[in-house]
Amino acid sequence: MRAFLIYTVDGVTNGMVYAAVALALVMIWRATRIINYAQGAMAMFTTYIAFFVIEHGTPFWLGFVIALAAGLALGAVTERVLVRPVESRPALSAVILTLGLLIFLEALAPMLFGAQVQSFPAPFSRIDLTAGGTQLYFSRFDIFTVGSVLCVMVLLFVLFQRTTIGLRMRAAAFNPEIARILGIRVGRMLTLGWALAALLGALAGLLAAPVLFLYPTNMDEVLVFGFTGAIIGGLESPVGAVVGALGVGLALSYVSGFLGSDLAPLGSLLILMAVLMIRPRGLFGMTRQRQV
Amino acid sequence: MLEVAELTVAYGGVVALDDVSFSVPEGAITAVLGANGAGKTTLVRTISGLVRPRHGSVLLDGAELVGRSPESIARLRVAHVPEGHGIVSELSVDENLRLGGLWRRDRAEQRVAVDEAYALFPPLAARRRGPASGLSGGERQMLSIGRALAARPAVLLLDEPSLGLATRLLAQIMERLGSLVAERKLSVLLIEQNARSALSVAGQAVVLSLGRVVVIDEAHRLAGDEALRHAYLGF
Ligand SMILES: Nc1ncnc2c1ncn2[C@@H]1O[C@H](COP(=O)(O)OP(=O)(O)OP(=O)(O)O)[C@@H](O)[C@H]1O
Ligand SMILES: [Mg+2]
Repeated sequence: MRAFLIYTVDGVTNGMVYAAVALALVMIWRATRIINYAQGAMAMFTTYIAFFVIEHGTPFWLGFVIALAAGLALGAVTERVLVRPVESRPALSAVILTLGLLIFLEALAPMLFGAQVQSFPAPFSRIDLTAGGTQLYFSRFDIFTVGSVLCVMVLLFVLFQRTTIGLRMRAAAFNPEIARILGIRVGRMLTLGWALAALLGALAGLLAAPVLFLYPTNMDEVLVFGFTGAIIGGLESPVGAVVGALGVGLALSYVSGFLGSDLAPLGSLLILMAVLMIRPRGLFGMTRQRQV
Repeated sequence: MLEVAELTVAYGGVVALDDVSFSVPEGAITAVLGANGAGKTTLVRTISGLVRPRHGSVLLDGAELVGRSPESIARLRVAHVPEGHGIVSELSVDENLRLGGLWRRDRAEQRVAVDEAYALFPPLAARRRGPASGLSGGERQMLSIGRALAARPAVLLLDEPSLGLATRLLAQIMERLGSLVAERKLSVLLIEQNARSALSVAGQAVVLSLGRVVVIDEAHRLAGDEALRHAYLGF
């Protein structure tokens, strides 16, 4: 029972980080029909920026915010410079470009920041809390991880569903041509969508680094697990992506806890295959084809 | 006033519009008629900036529209009801209507414009929270027209609004539109294959054939000219 609780807490905490990545992938997929393979590398890079400024005397939280802002900027620049020029080409061109960006960032990071594995500070203690002598199985950092991702998700939900800018963004994503003849500046909306997705990714990077350490490929696995979660959720559904990613987090935690950590990636693959065989559109995939 | 002058549009080698000139006066409906493939949709898509012409100009009260983006043309109060209605089916009815006036600053005015659309098309009001994908063909057309009107346009481009509409409903919509046109000094470009109903509400009519203007005349005269009707309008 004790082991089960520990693995569950672990699974949820990791799952929330995967969920942030999964949601970022889904946001970009919905807006531009592109899988952003550089999502993890972008998060790694912005975490290095935080690491760099903190090393040079910036207070931790300021460094944290700088990394988030760098995420926004990197997302916006990526859309403008890489994705926009190939907008009218087959979607594969943009996908190959995001793969290129992944390789570029993973090569650039060691040149700028060094290749050695760095430890990245956690903003809160990672030692499990106790309440009146009882062991609680989770730490302040776990609470922060789950809480901050939830918080950003709620903010994004409110932005998309309750504000006019969110309505514009959804219209631009669902039907760019109609959006344009209604006076919506579709290009700006797409840039904003990429920026917000990269912000979410940057948060994931900052939350993953204290656990995984910081090195140029430290987010590769997180990207794969987040992607698995997004696919399980149907790629189209934000809620599905979060649920899918939490499921992946839990499953991986149980597999590595009870069966051995070497088996964890295999576990992720098995879940993905099982879900795709039973529900090819994912658990939350739309049953109806998108209408024009 | 909207003035189209010497407009030529080609898709690759296919010339879809060839030296088309006419003007759309304020406070009246101008019908554009023609068979399948005559170039009617190309004409409205060019006016709203979705298609770049090879040559020619489109002037709105003297300002050149050619070369501007569709979003900036929309902001000059040109509203386009596209062929096959073009609602955003993933959004709710209310959200679709709100999209119409979203680019304007004043929130209160936006709301008034949306409420006017509900008053104009009561069936929409009953389904405002529902998804637009749940609407019938007629309701979708109402939504698309209501959304265009919510933008408070100076120019309204209607591309075959009769498509999929029952005759009675079409007559109702046209009647409501007719009174708005006079009231708001709208310039309306009404694309139709169904020439008879379009001619009954239009002031002026332009007949296109294979991308060229073959007739420009007052609608009632065209409707009364049997030879022309037979030659170009098929009734
Ligand atoms: N995107 C396109 N690419 C190539 N050719 C096109 C394109 N759109 C239209 N055309 C061609 O241009 C010509 C005019 O088409 P258009 O759609 O403007 O006609 P229309 O009068 O609206 O016809 P309909 O009554 O069927 O709607 C046709 O020959 C059509 O095949
Ligand atoms: Mg047409």
